[in-house]
Parts: sequence; structure tokens; C-alpha cells
Amino acid sequence: MSERWQRSVPVYDTPIWTRPFQCLCALGAIGLILVLYREIVGLGPTSGMNDAYAWGIWKTFNTMVLTGLGSGAFAIGIAAWIFRRDQLHVVMRTAVLTSFLAYIFGLTMLGIDVGRPWNIYWIAVPWHWNLHSPLLEVAVCMSIYATIPLFLENFPPAIEYLYDRWPDLPVNREKVEKMIVAGYPFVVSLAYVLPAMHQSSLGALMLLGGSRVSPLWQTPFLPLLYVWAAAFLGFAFVTVTLFLSSVAWKRPLDLEILAQLNRLTAWLIGSWLVFRLVDLTVRGQIRSAFQANMFAGLFWTELVLLGAALWQLRESVQSRSPRTMFYGALLTCVGGMLYRFDPTTTAFQPKPGAVYFPSVIELTISLGFVSIGVAMFILLAKLMPILPAPLRLWREMEAAKSNQSLAPKPAARLGREQLVAGD
Amino acid sequence: MEITRRDLLHRMTTGGAALAVGSAVSAATMTAVAHAEEPATAPAQAVGMLYDATRCIGCQTCVVACTKANDLQADSRRDPLHQAPGDLNYRTKTLIKLYKEADGKEFSFVKQQCMHCVDPACVSACMFGGLKKDAKSGVVSWNGKLCVGCRYCEVACPFSVPKFRWEGYNPEIVKCEFCKDRLAKGEEPACTAVCPKKAVIFGSRAELLKEAKLRIAKNPGKYYQDRVFGEKEGGGTQVLYLSHVAFDKIGLPQLGDESVPHQYLKWQKRLYSYLVLPAGLYVTLVGAIRNNWKHHEEHMDEEEKATGLKAQL
Repeated sequence: MSERWQRSVPVYDTPIWTRPFQCLCALGAIGLILVLYREIVGLGPTSGMNDAYAWGIWKTFNTMVLTGLGSGAFAIGIAAWIFRRDQLHVVMRTAVLTSFLAYIFGLTMLGIDVGRPWNIYWIAVPWHWNLHSPLLEVAVCMSIYATIPLFLENFPPAIEYLYDRWPDLPVNREKVEKMIVAGYPFVVSLAYVLPAMHQSSLGALMLLGGSRVSPLWQTPFLPLLYVWAAAFLGFAFVTVTLFLSSVAWKRPLDLEILAQLNRLTAWLIGSWLVFRLVDLTVRGQIRSAFQANMFAGLFWTELVLLGAALWQLRESVQSRSPRTMFYGALLTCVGGMLYRFDPTTTAFQPKPGAVYFPSVIELTISLGFVSIGVAMFILLAKLMPILPAPLRLWREMEAAKSNQSLAPKPAARLGREQLVAGD
Repeated sequence: MEITRRDLLHRMTTGGAALAVGSAVSAATMTAVAHAEEPATAPAQAVGMLYDATRCIGCQTCVVACTKANDLQADSRRDPLHQAPGDLNYRTKTLIKLYKEADGKEFSFVKQQCMHCVDPACVSACMFGGLKKDAKSGVVSWNGKLCVGCRYCEVACPFSVPKFRWEGYNPEIVKCEFCKDRLAKGEEPACTAVCPKKAVIFGSRAELLKEAKLRIAKNPGKYYQDRVFGEKEGGGTQVLYLSHVAFDKIGLPQLGDESVPHQYLKWQKRLYSYLVLPAGLYVTLVGAIRNNWKHHEEHMDEEEKATGLKAQL
């Protein structure tokens, strides 16, 4: 049932233009049209933001939370390249693609959210940078990271695809590959330094919220807790992605690798929970967790979700049960996302009586960009060798290609609700 | 357990990397701590305003004068007959509010506008200097050419002062700029110029602080805690308050003596000082990865031999 993943193989035997794919594209198109509307009429009529809650879900969810999910390239990359978890190299392509999409759309949302986008060009003028601003650090680091190292990390599968499709490309393939190999250590090192900086600065954003952020979240260690959460979110989201794609496209799971991912996720969550509780106690704020209010409720929700995740992950490492593995990773994602979201909105009280709830347009645009991201992942996973698979699948694909008369397998349909095909 | 040569090498490199990172961290932290910045102080020529809630009669002449002086459109959206905004907004840079206890015994007016902090959180938050504090007068003002409209100033300001114009394709950040155009002409701000009771007065911050303390000394027990709000609160502000009721009741937040940026961004500034730490980390990582690269290549070679396929990167 468990087969060793050895090689990235495109999902070559399924049609692209499926009904779910069409739905995702439609959602994306609606989102894009609404963006146009937002640019014309302004933020007031299109969003639920106000002078108290000046930041809405475009920043707090699409940028601050979803790039946490997109930290797989950073977290798994460090495990594979620095700590020599050799087995994990085979899932790196999934990680760098999900990360790239999360970051590109996170940045896009940042651009849609700002009121005076024509002034963004100052980002190219370093002597106008206010280096004390955490948001500047985020904007600069994130744009560099997404457009240079993370983009380059996605080159190997793209090159394989291009030369496979058009073998007669004018540039010598060997040369290109040599260049990539030569530059790789320098590129991937940058791909770990930059996220460490901006993922922590995302936490630093709310430091300036001062005492208006509930003491259960507000701590000088907020940046550290944020980048730490990004690490386990990155691991868990890649695990979830691998599970969902394997089930959707009926590919075998490699329980060894998934167990290794989960073991590392469990360690990260465990240490994070301990650190957070110690920090809370040292700051003398542990009492705030036992008051009957919404903040304490949110705090315990996070803790219970991540505690349950930790339990499931540890259990799955022992039992190798795919269902437990999936639930562990999923709970990690939900709990971690809640932690990254809370200090920005639900645990942030800028003014007594002020409320924020995203408008329908805001939610639709947010969902639209997530849909485009998912659609692009599906498309690229079908075209390029992204998802890990046993060698057998690669051989089958080669055989199918060389023997065109072989009838293509019946298309597996997307969107099946059975997330886990029996354990 | 036997330790192979590769294992040993591996351990040595990871150990070395950890050591290098560790020393880079401690070196950077030590330099940074040595250069730890002093808390900001108000410029010598800092302008100021002193608002005395015991003198204010709530006539709102200042509100009208502010609207005129700043070419704002009077906000009568809540009450078609009067200029009656509920809060500071993009059409209202200053406002008089009434605080009244439920039994009606204790009440006070309060004037709201930008506090022109000595170490403003909005300026620390601002990415490209769209909000800047004038080095001479200490006035915090907005520059539309540098503002991207990210609204981080609104999130950061402990007094909830900067406001955003939410309508239209060309929004702005609106806040009191101390009538800087009038200051340039040698005039005082519109609100202090018109106040019939001299409840809000203009002067240099240093003089006004003296004046406020004089009033407290002359009237013992009249003012809340015999304290001038803004002398130290939030690192100090250039608009000072005297009040007979508790400051938090009239909407002035309880802040420590440290400014928000100084208190919360200390470590951020230290860790990023001169980019020593990120640069050191980068160099260390390049070293470690190049080392591991050889190991990875061996791995790929083995795989190529075993499968007969070109290894994937």
C-alpha cells in the first residue's frame, strides 16, 4: 500500500479542462473583475474595513496567513539541504510550487489592498526605505524572495517540461542545467535567509499594535513565534497537499516520507507550544487565559487544535495510519492559521466598540485568488514533473508516450470527497 | 553504533555551521546592544499645544476653524444642520467630544487631534516616509507622493488618529498637521487662534509644559493626579493635556513612559542593525549547503546508476 516515492512525475493521464478546474477558473475570473471594481470605487464601498480595523482579510489572511502555509519551501528546504534529511528532496518540488503560488498571490493581494498603488515604485528606491518599518521589511524581502530565489527554485521542473515538449529549443539544455547547479547553493541559501526575515517581520507587524493586541498574543517574541509557526505550517501544508493530490489522482502514498514530515512537524509544534506557554508565564499573563472572554476562548481553541494535531501526528508516526497522518497535518494547518490570524483581527482591539467583518466582495476576491492558486497548482502538476511518485509511474508514462497506440487510461475525476482511500 | 566517515563529516559540518551561526548571532547582538539607541527626545524648537479640559466649554469653534483652515468639507453626514462628526475622519482633523458619567455629575469635554508624538509609531510604521516628523518643529505631516495607502499608520497609532479616505480611487491619509502652512507664515494653528476660553493654547512644548505645571501648582487637587498627559506618556507627545477627570475616561489611553516603537521594535532594530546577522547567516548557509551538495550529488549518482534515469534536481 505504501510505495517509495523516487521521482517527480506529471499527472500525465488526466484531462486538464475538468469541471472543478472550470469552477476554479470562474471563481478566479469573478475575483479579477471585482478587483477592477475595487480599483475604481475605492476600498470603502467594496470592503468591511474601517478606520479602526484598517487592515482586512486581504492583508491579514491572504498575505499574513497564507504565506505561512506557503513556507514549505523554506521549512522542508532547510530540513533537506541543511540538516540532510535526504528523503525529503523528493517532495521539494511540491513544496516550492505551493510556496511560489502562495507568495505570488500574497504579494498580489498586498498590491490590491494598498490605496495608492501608483506609489509602490518607491520600493525600488532603497534610500527612501524606512528600515524601522516591519511592513517595509516584509514588502522588500517578500518581493525579492518570491521573484528571485523561489522563482529559480521552480526552474528544474519547468526546464524538464520545456525540453521534453520542445527538444529543439535553441539554448543548450546541458548548459542551462550546469548553470542552475552552479548557482543552486547561493540561491537556496537566499531562499532560507529571506523567509526567516520576512516571516518573523510579519509577526513584528502587530508589535506596533502595542497593548491593543491582547496580551495572550502580544509579546516581544511574536516575530519568533510567527516564523516558528510558519515552519510547522509549511510542513503540514505540503503534507496536506500531497495527501489531497494523491487521493484525487489515485497515486500511491509514501508513508515513510509522510511519517518523517509529520515527525518533524510534531517536534516543531511541541517546542512551539512549550515556548509559548513559558513566554506567557514569564510575562505574568497566564491569568488572562483563564478569564471568561473571547480572547481566552480563542487562545484555548488554538491550543486545543494544535494539541490535537500534535497528538495525531505522534500517533501517526507510530501507527503509520494515513488517516491519522492526514488529520494531524490538517489540524496543524487550521490551528496554525488561527494563531497567525488572531493577533491581526480577532485578538486586536483598536477601539472599544469597533467591529470588522469582511464584505462579500472582500471574501469573493480573497477566494478568487486562492482559486487561481489552486487552479495553477493543478495545471502545473499535470504538465510538469512536480508530484512525487514511485519509479513505476515514470516507466508507465514513458511507455505510454513511446507507444501512442496504447489507449489512455480512463480519466480520474477531480474533487472526489473520499480524502483518504482506506487505511 | 558505528560511526562511518560520512557520518562524522556530516556531524562536523553541521556542528561547524551551528557554531558559525551562533557566533554570528552573538557578535551581532553584542554590537547592536552596545549601540542600543537612546529613547527619542523632542526637538529643542518643538512646537506644542496645551489643552486644559477644565477651561473648555465645548463650543466647537476650533472644529469649524480647523475645517476652514484646512479646506476640508464640513462633515454634516450625521446631522444635516450641523457639522457633527462622530469621530475623527477624513473630513475632520480635530473634534470636541463630551464625556459624561451616567449619573450626570461628572463630565468633561475633550479635544481630539494628532498628538504629534515625540517618537511617533505612525512614522516608524510608514514604509517610504509618507509620514514624517519635522526635525525642527516636530510636526508629523503626510506626503502623498510617498504614501502607498497601506494604512499601517492607522494600525500603529496608539491614539487612533490617522484616518483614511475610504471612497474613491485616490484615497489619502488625513490627520492634524499642526496647520503647518500657517506656522510657516508665522501664525498659530487655527484651533488655538480661535479658542474663546484659551482652553487650547499654542507655544513651544517646553514653555507649555512649564505653564501646565504652574497651573497644577497653583490649583492643588484640581487636576487629575496632578499630572500633565503627554509629558512622558508613550514617550512624550507635543500636544499636552490637563484634565479634572481621569485621562482614560476622556479617551486618552493608558500608556507607559516608553514609546510604542522604542518598546516594541527594540529587538527588531537590534537584530537587523547593519544587516550583520542576515549576511552572516547567508554566508554560513552557503557554506553548509555547498558542503551538503557533494553529499547530495553522490546520492544522485547512485540513483542514476540504479534507475538508469537522469536524476532530478
